[in-house]
Amino acid sequence: MNRRAAVRLASLSVPLLAAGVLAVALFGQGWAPNSPTAPLGAPWQGPSPGLPLGTDALGRDVWSRVLAGGGGLLGVSMTAAVCACVIGTVGGLVAGWFGGLTSRSLTAAADLLLALPSLLFALVVAVALPWYTAVIIATVCGGAPLTLRVVRDAVRAARTSGYVEAALLRGEATASILGREVLPAMRGLVTADLGLRLVVALQVASALSVLGLGAAPPAPDWALMLRENMTGVAINPWAVAAPAVALGITTVLLALLAQICLTADRTSRVRDHDPALKEPADG
Amino acid sequence: MSRPRTVPAVVHLRAPGTAAGASFLFALARTVFLLALVSVVVFTSTELLPGDAADLRATPGADQDQVRALRDELGLNAAPWRRYLDWAAALLTGDLGTSLVNGRPVADALAQRLPATLTVVGGALAVAAPTSVALAWWAGGSGRAKRVSTALLTGGAALPTAVTAAILVTVFSGALGLVPPVSLLPPGAEPWQHPELLFLPVMALALPTAFYGASLLAGAVSDTMCLPHVADARRRGVPPWRIAATDVLPFLLAPFTRVTAVTGGGLIAAAALVETLFGYPGIGSLLVSSIASRDLPVVQATAVLAAAVVLIGLLAGDLVAALTEPRRRWLA
Repeated sequence: MNRRAAVRLASLSVPLLAAGVLAVALFGQGWAPNSPTAPLGAPWQGPSPGLPLGTDALGRDVWSRVLAGGGGLLGVSMTAAVCACVIGTVGGLVAGWFGGLTSRSLTAAADLLLALPSLLFALVVAVALPWYTAVIIATVCGGAPLTLRVVRDAVRAARTSGYVEAALLRGEATASILGREVLPAMRGLVTADLGLRLVVALQVASALSVLGLGAAPPAPDWALMLRENMTGVAINPWAVAAPAVALGITTVLLALLAQICLTADRTSRVRDHDPALKEPADG
Repeated sequence: MSRPRTVPAVVHLRAPGTAAGASFLFALARTVFLLALVSVVVFTSTELLPGDAADLRATPGADQDQVRALRDELGLNAAPWRRYLDWAAALLTGDLGTSLVNGRPVADALAQRLPATLTVVGGALAVAAPTSVALAWWAGGSGRAKRVSTALLTGGAALPTAVTAAILVTVFSGALGLVPPVSLLPPGAEPWQHPELLFLPVMALALPTAFYGASLLAGAVSDTMCLPHVADARRRGVPPWRIAATDVLPFLLAPFTRVTAVTGGGLIAAAALVETLFGYPGIGSLLVSSIASRDLPVVQATAVLAAAVVLIGLLAGDLVAALTEPRRRWLA
């Protein structure tokens, strides 16, 4: 297999794998062979027939809990990522289109928020508000500024492109140009950005759950499982390894998918000679 | 393609062409403003909780009048902004308050746990900084394997800290049995007397930081490798190690400083996670346990101090970066 074919295979398999993992994470509860919350055997039992990954600290089925444990985490993270991406995109459209003082003040506000780690934000907010609110606020504060910068630069470049000038000459309203001309041209960029926000949201959400400030026991939750089963790692390592691998594969695949979207977006800009191109894609 | 275009924005906070002095004043103003903002957020967040210190401190069975008297005595009836100013003024003069749970001064609890956190965060930085440079060098300089190295850095940076910690525990404690799965310090022991307890927390903090730092730095490495003087030196046949030492590394000093400041801030937040996970008695686990027990004075003081350390680190990073940045006007 030559190199080009290998690259194509890799960039095709990542989206498929990511779709599969997301489907299992979101709908896995329906496939769990046992109840994820009922004790079925002695604590820390090793793998046995019927219990492929053994039992956890309270004797519950690890395999069923892994299948059921991604839904809540992903649901919260997706909500947070969409919020961050929408707010950042709207801010970026406004900043990139109007430029000048509007752009400078929006960017300055965004830069201020960037200075603090998202997790610290989430911890402080989690004192008083429910954990999903904390995840959303932390993801928006830590993610929307980055989205804003990316979208702003792309919009600034698109302003002088042919299709936008044509729309301007047709006398179209600003909102309609932004919504119908500029935004569709940036869908690859925004999709990639949504993926990156989702990764950070998952990191924050899983951190809160691991700290015991997130999903409440006995809910099956990958991050909570890490916390519950850490002490028994020498007796049944699967109880820690399985949720860790599930969470790890999900985040890594999402990040790689975002990377592929970015590369594809840049490659298509090279092909279409889009003036929004700032960096050349590699070969 | 180097990195996602979102990433260098964090590293190059300073606008190109601004004078170093003006930029430093601006950065200082930003730090003070952000610290004030953080203190407001922390105070508001703790204000949102139902019940107040009077409810918590009143002896069980106390009637409404007694609670009201206690509330007067503690100054809880004043307007919120008034109480915020009092609290912030006390914080600035070094009075961090007393814990609601055990009545001990917060400053004592922080001072007692500070060495443990410094040890683990310092150890993580010492591991992460050289590792991230090596990884960035490999990813930014490699020609053919660029896609593989980029994918590896992207994946490594995406891995949640808790997952890294869990994998390390499963391998080194579960499978190999080399180190204990929890890092509880024996009473009275100093953390550095027990390196076997430090291994897991330090590595769990250092690895994600190294990958994230490398993914931020790789773009700067590959940009520097493309500079005219580097290509020129290469054509003149200067040995690669000399090009690295004299032509490339000086240009990486400023981005490296900024990346270290940014990732160091992340380390302080991640320490809360890692310390709690391993039962290691540091300031991070103190913050988390006091959030869980709603011990507000401890939460307020710890969160503001952590934010202050992060922001001062960023400021110091900005200053050092501004001083070490070679003239790179031709890049702009």
